[in-house]
Parts: sequence; C-alpha cells; structure tokens
Amino acid sequence: MTLIWGGLALGAVYAMVAVGYNIVYIASRTFNFAHAQLMMMGAFIAYSSLVSWDLPWVLALLLAGVVVGAIAAVEERLAIRPVRDTHNILVTTLGAATIMDGAAQLIWGSQPLRVPFVAGEDALSVLGGRVRPVELTLIGVAILLVLVLVLISRRSLIGLALLGMAEDREAAQLRGVNVRATAFGAFVVAGVLAGLLGVFVGPKTFAVATLGAALALKGFVALAIGGFGSMPGTLVGGLLVGLAEAYAARYLGGEYANLTVFVILIAVLLIRPAGLFVRAKERVV
Amino acid sequence: MVNRMSADRLRSLPLWTVPLALGVLVVFLPRFVSDFSVIRQVQLALILALLVSGLNLSLGYAGELALGQTAMYAGGAYAAGLLSRHGHTEILLQLLVAVAAALVIGVVSGVPGLRLGSWSLAMTSFFLVFLVGDVLAIFNSETGGRNGLSGIASPTLFGGMLAPNDYFALIAVVTLLWFVVMRNIVVSRHGNAFLVLKQSPVLAASMGISVFRMKLMAYALGAVPAGLAGVLFANLDLYVSPDQFTFSTATTILAASILGGSASVYGAVVGAFILQFGLNQSSDYQRYSLLVTGVFLLIGGVLLTGGLAGLARDLSRRFVLRPARTPAADGSAEIRIPPVPGRVLRVEGVSKAFGGNRALSDVDLLAHPGRITALIGPNGSGKTTLLNMVCGFYRTDSGAIRLDDRELHRLGPDRVARAGITRTFQTPNIPAGITVLEAVTAGRFTAHRATVLESALRLPRYRRLRREDVAEAERVLGAVGISNLRDSRADSLPLGQRRLLEVARCLIRDPAVLLLDEVASGLDEHEVERLAAVIRGVRDAGGTVLLVEHNFQLVLALADEIVALARGQVMAHGTPAEIENNPRVLSEYLGIDPDEQADGAAVLADLVTEAGGDR
Repeated sequence: MTLIWGGLALGAVYAMVAVGYNIVYIASRTFNFAHAQLMMMGAFIAYSSLVSWDLPWVLALLLAGVVVGAIAAVEERLAIRPVRDTHNILVTTLGAATIMDGAAQLIWGSQPLRVPFVAGEDALSVLGGRVRPVELTLIGVAILLVLVLVLISRRSLIGLALLGMAEDREAAQLRGVNVRATAFGAFVVAGVLAGLLGVFVGPKTFAVATLGAALALKGFVALAIGGFGSMPGTLVGGLLVGLAEAYAARYLGGEYANLTVFVILIAVLLIRPAGLFVRAKERVV
Repeated sequence: MVNRMSADRLRSLPLWTVPLALGVLVVFLPRFVSDFSVIRQVQLALILALLVSGLNLSLGYAGELALGQTAMYAGGAYAAGLLSRHGHTEILLQLLVAVAAALVIGVVSGVPGLRLGSWSLAMTSFFLVFLVGDVLAIFNSETGGRNGLSGIASPTLFGGMLAPNDYFALIAVVTLLWFVVMRNIVVSRHGNAFLVLKQSPVLAASMGISVFRMKLMAYALGAVPAGLAGVLFANLDLYVSPDQFTFSTATTILAASILGGSASVYGAVVGAFILQFGLNQSSDYQRYSLLVTGVFLLIGGVLLTGGLAGLARDLSRRFVLRPARTPAADGSAEIRIPPVPGRVLRVEGVSKAFGGNRALSDVDLLAHPGRITALIGPNGSGKTTLLNMVCGFYRTDSGAIRLDDRELHRLGPDRVARAGITRTFQTPNIPAGITVLEAVTAGRFTAHRATVLESALRLPRYRRLRREDVAEAERVLGAVGISNLRDSRADSLPLGQRRLLEVARCLIRDPAVLLLDEVASGLDEHEVERLAAVIRGVRDAGGTVLLVEHNFQLVLALADEIVALARGQVMAHGTPAEIENNPRVLSEYLGIDPDEQADGAAVLADLVTEAGGDR
C-alpha cells in the first residue's frame, strides 16, 4: 500500500502537468512544451520563499502563483503570439522551456533542493500503508482540480466558450468570443495554476533544474493515455503512469522506471492513438 | 571584357560546385592550419553538422519536429565503442553497423510517434533521449553505465592505423559524402514529394503519396548521419559517456538547425559551425549554454522562418539570379488531350453520419468513361462529403464505392489515389517555391517509383525516370495548353492557370476518374470557357469526369448526366434537360420549401449573380 500511495502521488503530479497542457490545448490548439517548466519554477519559488526568506506558507503560495503567472504571460507574448507558422510553436515553447531550465540552473544551482511542506513530514498510516501528508494532499488536489475544471467547462459561460473555441475558432469568433484574449487568459490561468501546484509538487519531487524535462515527458504520457482535451482522462492517465513507474522502480529496478513508462506510451500510441477517453475523429479536408 | 566572360562562365556552373569545392578544401585543412584547438573545433562542428542535417530531413522536409537524433547518435557511438572493445577497430565496419543501429532506433521510435504526428513524435523522440542514460545503466557491464565507456582502441582503415591528420580527413570525407547524398535526395523526385507533403498532407494523400511512409522515411533517413556522427565522435576521443547525449545536446542540434535553416542542405553546416565556434569561445559558456540555446530557439522560431539559408536564398534571388520571366498567357494554344483510360465509378447506397447528423443517406451515383457526370446541390447537401468519401478521407457507414469492380471504400486516401482516382481542389493546392513542371511531375512520384538509394546515387533508373517525368509533364502541359508556363513559379500563377495546372497534374497520372471540386469558382468568363474546353477534351479522350459544381449554367452546358443532392439524398438524376425542368430541383433551388428557406435563398442569390455574370 505504501507503494501505491507513492505511485498515486507521483501520478497526481503528472496529471497536474497534463491538465495544464489540456487547458492550453483546449483554448488555443497549441502545445506548451514549457508547461512543466512553469511548475518547476513554482517549486523553486516555494523553496526560496519558505527556506531562504522564511515567509509564511500562504505568502509563498501567493508569490508562486503571481510570479509564474507573469512568466507564463511573458511566454505567451514572446513565444506564442508572434509565431506565424503554428508548426514553429513547438520550437519556440521548447526554447522557452530551455531558457527556464537554464535560468533555474543559474539561480538555484544544479543540486536538488528540499522544499518543506506545510503539514510537516511525519508519515501517516492510511489503509495499511505509510503515506506522507504531501502525498495525500497531492492526490486530493489533483482530483479536486479535475472535478472543478470539468464543472467549469460544463456549467460556466467561459468554459463553454473555451470548448467552442476548441471545436471551431472561427465559429466562436463569429459568436462574439474574443478568441485572442480568451486564449491569452487561459494561458495565464494555466501558468498561475502551475505556480500554485509547484508549491505542492516541490516537497514530493525536490526542486531541481532537471525536474521540468522529466515532468514534461511523464505529463505528456498521461495526456496521451487520457486523450487530448479530456480532463478526466488526464487524471486516469497520470495515476496510471505514476503507479507503473512506482511498481517498475520497486520490482525491476530504478533504471527501468522510465523505460516502463516509455513502453506504455508506445503501446498506447500504437493501439489507441487518440487516447482512452477521446473518440477518434475523422479527418476533414 | 575578359572578366565579364569569366563571370558568365562562373555563373553557368551548377550551384552545387561551390559547396563541393569548399568541402574538398576542408578535407585538406590540417595542411594549412596547425592550431590544434581550431582543428578540434572543426571536427566537432562537422560531427554536429551531420546531426543537424539528419534533423533537417525530418523537421525541414517532412515538417515533423523530432529530437531523437541524440539517441541515434548515442546508438552509433556506443555501437562503435563496443565493436572497438571487441577488437573490431575497422572504421568502415563500425560506420556500417552504427548506421544500422541508428536506423533501428529511428524506425522503432518513429512508427508510434508518427501515428499522431507533431507533438507525439516530438515527445516520443524527446523521451528517447531521456532513456539513453537508463538503457546504458541497464547494460552496465558492457557499457560502463554512468561512468562511460573507456578503453576504445584507435580506429583503423583497411587494417592500417590512422594518423591524427588522416582521421581529420576521414571525418571531413564522411561528412562531405553524406552531404552529397543528402543534397541528391533533396534535389530529386523524393525532395519534390517532400515539398508536396509539406504543402499539405491532404494533397500528398490525394496524389497517392503515403503520408505516414514518407514521414517515417524522412525521420529514419535522419538516423543515417546520426549513426555516422556517433562513430566519428567515439573514435575522436576514444571515450563515450551518457553525459554527452543529453537534452542539451538535443537542443543544441535543434538550435543549429533553426539557425541555419531547417529546410536546407548546407544550412546545417553553417548552423553547426556558428554554434560550435561562436558559443564555445566564451569561457562562461557552460554556465549559460542552456540560456543561450533557449534564446536561439525562441528567436529563431519566431523570426527566421527559413533560417540563414532562407535569408541567403532571398538575397540571391534579389541580386544574383535574374528574375524569372512570367511569359504572357498564350490563350490561343490548342487543346489536344491524349487518350485517358477512364473507368466506371460506382457509388452504391452510401450512407454517412457524423454523430447524430446524417450527411448522406443511401446515395447512388454512376460515372462512366467518356461522359461528364455532374454532382449538384445546395450548400450542406452532402456534395463535399461524398467527394471526400470517394477519395477515401471518410469511411462509409454503409454502401459501397467501386472503380470498375475494385472496392475503394475500405482503402485509405493514398491507396484510393493510387487506384486511379485523381482530384482538383476548390482552392488550388500547389506546393510553394517550385516550377510548374516540377509541380506536375510530382504526380508521377508513386506510380513510377525510384528508391531513395537510386535517387541519392543518381543511378541509371533514376535518370531514366527523371527524363520520362519531364517528357510526360511537357505532354500534359501541352494538352491543357500551358506549355509556355513550364518554368514559371507554380504558386504565383493566376487562379485560372493554377486550376489548369491541377488538371495537368491529374492527367499525368493517367486518371481512371477525374474529380473536379468547384472548378469554376472565382474564374472569369474567359477562364471558365477555357477550362470547359479542357474538361470536354478529357471526356472526348475517354476520361471519366465527375464535376462537383455550384455554377448551374456551367453544369447544364457541360454535363452529360446530372445527379442532384438535397439533404444528403439523391433528389433527382438525369440529363441536363430533365434536371432543368424537374419540379423538385426547382422547388429546392428556388426555396419554396419552408424548411429550407435559408438555403434556397442562398442558392437563388447564387443563380441570379451567376446568370448576370454569364451575360
């Protein structure tokens, strides 16, 4: 059970990354390579606030959300909006990701930093397994996040507008949706979210400059399993990836963890390329 | 005077002589430069250039961002290192094995990644880089794991040892040879097909090109230089370790590619040299390397769409090359269509629903050789859906589509196209930056195949096919009466001529069926007449023509048989005279039916404007 808790918590982190990809994808049909890096920045900011400056936890959360949201806004303006050929967005957002990796390495060095968690480190016994408070919190937050986003997308006007944009940008524009502003807004919201979640993720994964790349890949696998655009899918996908990784590391050895996830990704892409939760769409000429 | 003559002579030399001469010069570089650090930088830059050129094949020519070069590079390097440790120091053997190893990595990672394209390939290939360290750790005893593989013996060539200068020459020669091969692939029928693919996958498929196979080919071909680079690198330092094959290697390759221009052959060399020389000079480079490559990617992606090669191309077009003349359209050219082997197209009881929306129900249609069959109907009546189903872009829910007796409705679009269905597009779909002749020859890519190897080495079969391509293209251009445009830029022609070009591109494939999608829209009276003459010519030459058209007058004048669709069903079919007087067609088109008022009104408006335009 301890193993399962650990795997689920890791999976929750991946699901959070995938949710971020999804928000941007739904709003603008683009893929933000740098989303996991945004979350990594959140973790680093949490470290600086809590350890270096000794700020209260709520302030750290606020700071991470604001700063990372601002970084996301800058990224949208520099790496997404001016790009005419949408194909190049992969390149420019990868550039943004690399810049954040480099900046993190310059500012915080390349050693993993331990980020403290508000509820302490004492492991609890739940359902016959040992679990740290941060792990329980991560699982809870991921589930809550997906629930809230599903509700927003079904019930609120902005959610419907986003779904409409995902379906057909031009049609949404004709219905009076300000497509550009909404896409920008969604991007920034995804950034703020990444910053906030980074504060929770840091205590589980440590804050380290290579965190972004690892999270980006695993988050993508979660997205591929769940299917692009499906919020519940990301949760299931993320948890599956986390569990698979935990089990592989435990029973096969640490160097097999990533390999196992890769094999799952390949299998999903070969068997069900649209993901488990999205119906395959036919091509339109 | 003498100067002028020699300048003219220089200008008449083919363009590829310049890079070839430069390449040969680099081979002998150690004779002129003795500075060790410079020599080493050049070696590393050449190796980087190999890697970048591999990426260019997939990113620049197939349009897919793939970052797996680093993994293939590692595969090549470790293959060479392990061979060497087992006593096989012969470098040619190592190069061969390493290319094979890199190809395996390329195909294995490319097949699943390319299924979804774009992000999937980028991510799976990126993941591959992530795995390099883990895989090496799993085979710890052989590879030395994280500590790296040491004890690689010096390489030999045909059994003889290689002095440092000889090894430099070897690197330069291998790189040079690869670039010759790469250039030959890019400037070939394959290169032409890549341009079609880049223009639009839909276009590629409807010309019979398998999008998936083409992309896989580009990505896997990119493994070849990566494998070569791996061997050259392993034998340079006689030591390899996982630290040399990381994300930052992958991003450096990408940055060099973007900087040099991904869709270019020599841009790879320029980008590689700039990154290797420009950045490694500053002592702080290690600390700032990620930041700098990131900025390169960002700026490169936003500003330099064509990279430095694109800039150079623009400049040379402006100053060096004489502007291409666009000859005046020769309206009097006679239209003589050679025999077209038309076949019978049968659509039998086809239905299709999208979600709950029934787009087509139980539609029958028959198109015979030597006849023009027209498909008409108001907006939303299912014309385009039917067209896309015939072309294989949608699957039928029920019913059958046959060409003579061959079933088409289970085939993908590229196979349908290879079976003989050809089409034009409502908005002409023509690759950018190629001549009319090249655009038309691209139609022959799949029916008359040459292998990549034959193209790369310019073997006799390739040369023969190439000659036939040109002869056939001249024939069909003549047939539709635009021979005089053969060397003009295809995408800058006026609309009417682009439509004719599309028809020629279909004719070069000896089409069993010619589908024309809204072929008259946007044309003036003159152009419509000319196009109508070509269409009649195709019919008289035995072609099966299916005309999907809005222009009612044109359809009445051209068609031998008309099928009218309304709300996904065949409302009427018959000769133009029958259709013109069919009460249901009239009511549908004149908007009497209260349910269809909006559509009816739109069509009425169309009719009125078109009738006005015709008079």
